[in-house]
Amino acid sequence: MKEELNKILESAKSEIDKTGSIHELQQLKSRFIGKKSGLMNFMKQISSLPKEERPAFGQLVNETKQQITNIILKCEAAIKESDYKKTLKSEFIDLTMPGRKHEKGSLHPITLVWREIEDIFISMGFDVAEGPDVEDEFHNFDALNTPPDHPARNLSDTFYIENDVLLRAQTSTVQVRVMEKHKPPIKIISPGRCYRNENDASHSPAFHQVEALVVDEDVTFADLRDILNIFLKKMFGEDISSRFRPHFFPFTEPSAEIDIICVNCLGKGCNICKGSGWLEMGGAGMVDPNVFDMLEIDSEKYTGYAFGLGIDRIAMLKFKIPDMRMLFANDVRFLKQF
Amino acid sequence: MRISYNWLKQYININLNSKELEEKLTFSGIEVESIDKIGEELKQVIIGKIVEKTSHPQADKLSICRVDDGNEIKQVICGAPNCAKNQKIAFAPVGSKLGEFKIKKVKLRGEESYGMICSEQELGISDNHDGIMILPDDAPTGKDLASYLNLTDTSFELEITPNRPDLLGMVGVARDLSALLKLPLNLPEMSLKSGKKKIEEALALENEAPELCSRYVARMIEGVTICESPQWLKKRLLAVGLRPINNVVDITNFVMMEFGHPLHAFDYQDLEGKKIIVRRATKKEKIPALDEETYTLEQSDLVIADASKPIAIAGIIGGVNSHITSQTTNIVLEAANFNYANIRRTSRRLKISTDSSYRFERNLSDETAEIVSKRAAQLILEIAGGTLLQGTLDSYPDPQKANIVALRPSRVKKLLTIKEDDTTLINYLEGLELRLHKQEKDKLFFEIPFFRKDLTREIDLIEEIIRLHGYNNVETFHKSQNIMNKLSFYARRKLQDILVSYGFCEVINWSFADPKDLDSLNIPESDERRNVAKIINPLGNDFAIMRSTLLPGIFKNTLLNISHGQKELKLFELNKVFFRKDEKLATEKYNLTVLLTGNLNPTFWKEKPKEIDFYDVKGIVEELLTSLDLEDVDYIASKENYFQPGSGADIIFRKNCIGNFGKLDPKIAQTFSLEQIIFIFELSIDDIFSLQEKRYPTYKSIAKFPPVLRDLSFVISKEFLLKDIKNIIFKTNPKIIKNVVLFDEFISDKIKEGYRSLTFSLVFSSETKTLTDEFINNLLKTIIANLEKSCKIEMR
Repeated sequence: MKEELNKILESAKSEIDKTGSIHELQQLKSRFIGKKSGLMNFMKQISSLPKEERPAFGQLVNETKQQITNIILKCEAAIKESDYKKTLKSEFIDLTMPGRKHEKGSLHPITLVWREIEDIFISMGFDVAEGPDVEDEFHNFDALNTPPDHPARNLSDTFYIENDVLLRAQTSTVQVRVMEKHKPPIKIISPGRCYRNENDASHSPAFHQVEALVVDEDVTFADLRDILNIFLKKMFGEDISSRFRPHFFPFTEPSAEIDIICVNCLGKGCNICKGSGWLEMGGAGMVDPNVFDMLEIDSEKYTGYAFGLGIDRIAMLKFKIPDMRMLFANDVRFLKQF
Repeated sequence: MRISYNWLKQYININLNSKELEEKLTFSGIEVESIDKIGEELKQVIIGKIVEKTSHPQADKLSICRVDDGNEIKQVICGAPNCAKNQKIAFAPVGSKLGEFKIKKVKLRGEESYGMICSEQELGISDNHDGIMILPDDAPTGKDLASYLNLTDTSFELEITPNRPDLLGMVGVARDLSALLKLPLNLPEMSLKSGKKKIEEALALENEAPELCSRYVARMIEGVTICESPQWLKKRLLAVGLRPINNVVDITNFVMMEFGHPLHAFDYQDLEGKKIIVRRATKKEKIPALDEETYTLEQSDLVIADASKPIAIAGIIGGVNSHITSQTTNIVLEAANFNYANIRRTSRRLKISTDSSYRFERNLSDETAEIVSKRAAQLILEIAGGTLLQGTLDSYPDPQKANIVALRPSRVKKLLTIKEDDTTLINYLEGLELRLHKQEKDKLFFEIPFFRKDLTREIDLIEEIIRLHGYNNVETFHKSQNIMNKLSFYARRKLQDILVSYGFCEVINWSFADPKDLDSLNIPESDERRNVAKIINPLGNDFAIMRSTLLPGIFKNTLLNISHGQKELKLFELNKVFFRKDEKLATEKYNLTVLLTGNLNPTFWKEKPKEIDFYDVKGIVEELLTSLDLEDVDYIASKENYFQPGSGADIIFRKNCIGNFGKLDPKIAQTFSLEQIIFIFELSIDDIFSLQEKRYPTYKSIAKFPPVLRDLSFVISKEFLLKDIKNIIFKTNPKIIKNVVLFDEFISDKIKEGYRSLTFSLVFSSETKTLTDEFINNLLKTIIANLEKSCKIEMR
């Protein structure tokens, strides 16, 4: 009996030693110790043995099975190791060869700045309002406290569609549209496209502005300066401060022009700020009571401020773009830089 | 903590239903976790009279009673030794319920029983199960027990925040309610009569650890009778979830629940040396506690001891060596206050949490100790009898001082924006028993009651004011503006971002256009895009109109870039187009225009470059539409004249054309001087948003059972479009067929002219079961049969 088992063990050993693949090994495993293997058939003899011999017999068969299992496990480990080594050899990689490119595109620099402006103001509780590019004179002039025959209307640089219909020259038109539809409190910005008949390195006939309007009880000039300073610092960095210069806009009183410390030289004077150390950023002021009256908002109860900034100008300063015309040429060598 | 409505009514005359009371409590900062109706089931238990009692022929211990329930006489088998003829008893008839136990008609040793005569334990009134509950002779037969004993009550489980230990008793809750509802608070009257003997003659008190025991008040009563508590007392305790034990213990628990300050009673007989010593435990000192465990203590633990042994773990649990038993006649009543942090440490280390430790952990007031001592002594004399010894033993080395806190009404206004005058503010706080001590200009000085240790600063008083005023009664001014169209705002950004991630560069062009471009694009005269806004004073003729399509602009950008040697281009513009016919102003809409030309991907050394084709563009279109949650989109031959015939598609959603895509007709490309193959697509974004009401994707459940995949391959005439073939397949079993994916089209000379071979991968899955092979095979057969019938396919 022992001899028979030894025979099985020996033949298993020699066959397993010969194999070189995991697949073959699995087949051998079932042949030698599987349910239908010779060894298991041999085990069936146990029922014909006398009771007292059975335990010893069973143990002997199990020992053989265990021995074969060990041989298989050892062989499996050896095959896997050699396969692994083959993989290492065959998968040669030149680490310096270029990878597969998934070239991403780019948002236009105007869009980048536009979104940043929106996000800064949204984070401060502003809504984003929109208005039409093609406007009437009422929203572009009358409601903004610029009656007919007012000198501010004589601007020859407005594009007209019809007598009374024009391309808006400023986003302030949206102030009027929002106040027509909504009662205070109002806290909005409105980025959008404006049009003026001028075309050179620093002026484009189509350009982008962002307008802000805040109307509520107790809105003050200090709030205006605060919001503008917070915005400018978030946009250009903590070093940037601003100053207001008295100015005239028909729809704000007091009105101011906003200057910021030159983002290029931080006030020392350079070619971008033309040596002054300051850059003009836009206009601002407290909403003129006449504007409120025209829109039937109680100008005693409510106060408000408004300002307008040039988006293209912010983009040019932020990305140090020297010529306005580059923004609209859409050369991909330019676009992909952002 | 659990409170009882009936009990609460002793201190404040509220007239609220449980819902209203819940609301008042919740909005004054006391959260109600649950409300339980008590005694509802005892409404089914009836007062009965035993009119006859005979012994059970088959069982010595049972008797057969005939019970009058006010309506009829019923036979009931009873096993209680104390039942007798003419007794008034609590009778639970068939069909009534006691807890989980439903009373049914039963046969006991051959005799039928129509109900049960109940013990107090069975009724849930006490632990007494020695016999049935005997009611007074004048109890009205037939009346329900709940109304007779006044057992119905409502209990509220409250979540008391850790800063308010004063709310851990009924009086505290009543006090807050009295301030809130402006109703008077009725505290129990307390007066004590004592005998001649002085307490010092019988007992000595030594406080060896004043740092851990800031006050210890002991009173002594001699000659008490320990027995069951009266009904009313048991009822109170049961209503708040406490188990009645005996009259003295019940009274200490009652007073704890009343004032939120725990007490303990010792059997004087057990006190060796006739002494109470408050001291730290010795190392490894052991005490057998009332919970039948023996605890090993450390020196940081505080114990109450007599001359030889610890008799309680201070403030946490009493010892079994000194507790009140039925033999007790003389008692020592302890009311004390302990260092809260130390109580907490000991209770956590020993893992004992009791009603007592729960309260002491929260920093109680020294002053209440005397109040609860007095109150408990009064009730013991009333209920358990005996004589009170004269005086108290009171260790109170550092009496609690009244705190003064200043409040500025201007500060209240600034913080809360409520416009209440000073009198109202004073009324609010006086309702909580704060006393106005002094008044200066914009400064009110309040003396804080001893039980409110949490009020130490002005801001604490302001919180009390707003709590009583009502958080939700503060007027608010700001409203949501609702000006912004968030849907289209963020969808525009999303489209831009997806295109950028696919490698597209955004271009921005002026809004001016050359009217001649519309001719170049073959836009029909009747087309909407011919309704343009003309500028009276344009920059030049080629800028004379507002653009109604973004195509010419992007073509010019393409030409410029190709002339710079950039031949692989992926560009898009998302901007406004303008239409103007009869309207005064213009109709302005956002359009997305996308252009692709050259190779699909950047050069890669492992692969040959691939030129962009129709399906590349369609894939991008499909992905963008999916990102906007647009489903059920159709593609039909385009009406646009600028696509190469057969190579342009219009995108149809809900019967509206929302865009188009395809290959630009080379002839038209040439009019814009473009020699390369150009693909374009356009989406009218505003039209999409006006058609789509879906705002966000909604979650769909994920299949629990694994999907089954099968391939299906056949030859079919080209006259059948993929869309129709897919429809036929889906319709066979739309619940099970989850997806039909085309993965191969094959056309060759081996296949009949005008035919093509298509291979699909079908995905099957069910929400309710694992699909068997047999089921799938049958389903496939049906699919094939349907296809053969409708499109005469040939299987491969």
